[in-house]
Amino acid sequence: MYVILVYDMGQKRVGKMLKLCRRYMNWIQNSVFEGEMTEVQLRELLHEARRIMDEDEDSLILFKNRDQKWLDKQIIGVERQSTDNFL
Amino acid sequence: MKQPKYLFNAGRMSRKDNTLKFTPVDEAGIEGQPRYLPIEQVGDLYVFGSLDANSALYNFLGQEGIAVHFFNYYEHYTGSFMPREYLLAGKMQVDQTKHYMAAKKRIEIARRFVEGAANNILRVLKYYDNRDKAKDLTEAICLIERLLASVPMAVDVPMLMGIEGNIRQTYYGAFDAIVGQTFCMDGRSKRPPQNELNALISFGNMLCYTACLSTIYHTQLNPTISFLHEPGARRYSLALDLSEVFKPILVDRLIFRMINKRQLQPSDFRSEVGGCVLKDAARKRFVQGFDEQLKETIKHRALGRSVSYRHLVKLECYKLQKHLLGLEEYRPFKAWW
Repeated sequence: MYVILVYDMGQKRVGKMLKLCRRYMNWIQNSVFEGEMTEVQLRELLHEARRIMDEDEDSLILFKNRDQKWLDKQIIGVERQSTDNFL
Repeated sequence: MKQPKYLFNAGRMSRKDNTLKFTPVDEAGIEGQPRYLPIEQVGDLYVFGSLDANSALYNFLGQEGIAVHFFNYYEHYTGSFMPREYLLAGKMQVDQTKHYMAAKKRIEIARRFVEGAANNILRVLKYYDNRDKAKDLTEAICLIERLLASVPMAVDVPMLMGIEGNIRQTYYGAFDAIVGQTFCMDGRSKRPPQNELNALISFGNMLCYTACLSTIYHTQLNPTISFLHEPGARRYSLALDLSEVFKPILVDRLIFRMINKRQLQPSDFRSEVGGCVLKDAARKRFVQGFDEQLKETIKHRALGRSVSYRHLVKLECYKLQKHLLGLEEYRPFKAWW
């Protein structure tokens, strides 16, 4: 499953969320991550995320896709970070 | 899915917030923008550039079960950091050793490896023979078929290795007919490879070898006890056995494809004292090609679903395990397309 995750957190919690997401997905832009993951990994991530979030104030949005190949990604301007396996 | 990461840039890898942080460093020693690798998605690390790391990082990688493979400046495989074994199985180990100790049982498995390799070699040759009528590979094909037929006659492993050597020699002899216009083979040479094509083969075989090693690590097999190759000290020789079967399919096909599509040119190589190596950009391109090849999927006939080439290697390990445990006879993977 290919996931794009976007969050909007209060200033106090945004750093924690960033660190959590870095463990599972590739950072592409401020508050935006994308990456391939399994159902279980996503559940782990969301479980952890719920503990960080204040669900009355913060929001987290997921875009799920079955495969990366069905995703048409366009970058306008600078690519902040590439997500490939070659460094 | 966990994906291998390939590090070409020099830099520093560190543990940061329970994940990996890679800070590239350029030639002037100036640090670039760090990149975080999601620990949950990292399969193996392949280090081609120079990597700065400390023991805290290796502790972390060990805990997460991530292997690191190192390659030197001349593209040779120098070794791996293997995390602590996590799939220990005493019964498997005992059975594997028993099969190695009993000459009769050992040669049976060794023969299968040679059969698998020869079949896949023939598949590659026949493909190029059919595709282009101008290139005549019939002679090499006939010779290899004859050699393959003599495999059951081999009474011991050295004799089998001899047959295997003849098959490879004939096979490499046919390379000129396939990529003859731009490159020439001029016999197999290694340590160091003497020309461009040999450099490619050596480099590709090494990638295949490490891919097999990583796969074996994730099974209960012991990578040091092998059947076709003699298990030596400090060597993962089972990976050599296994890679025999996959080299023609994973490596040689990739080489032919990249050369015939002119993705690799003679200008992509650099002659060094006593040998020939790939230039950085071309090396990266080749590794990229290899990575794509492993991700490529085929419809598996017995399983009835799509599996990637990387998974085929794993299935091969499972088949070998079943054979060693006496559940099902091992039949090597033979490409049918």
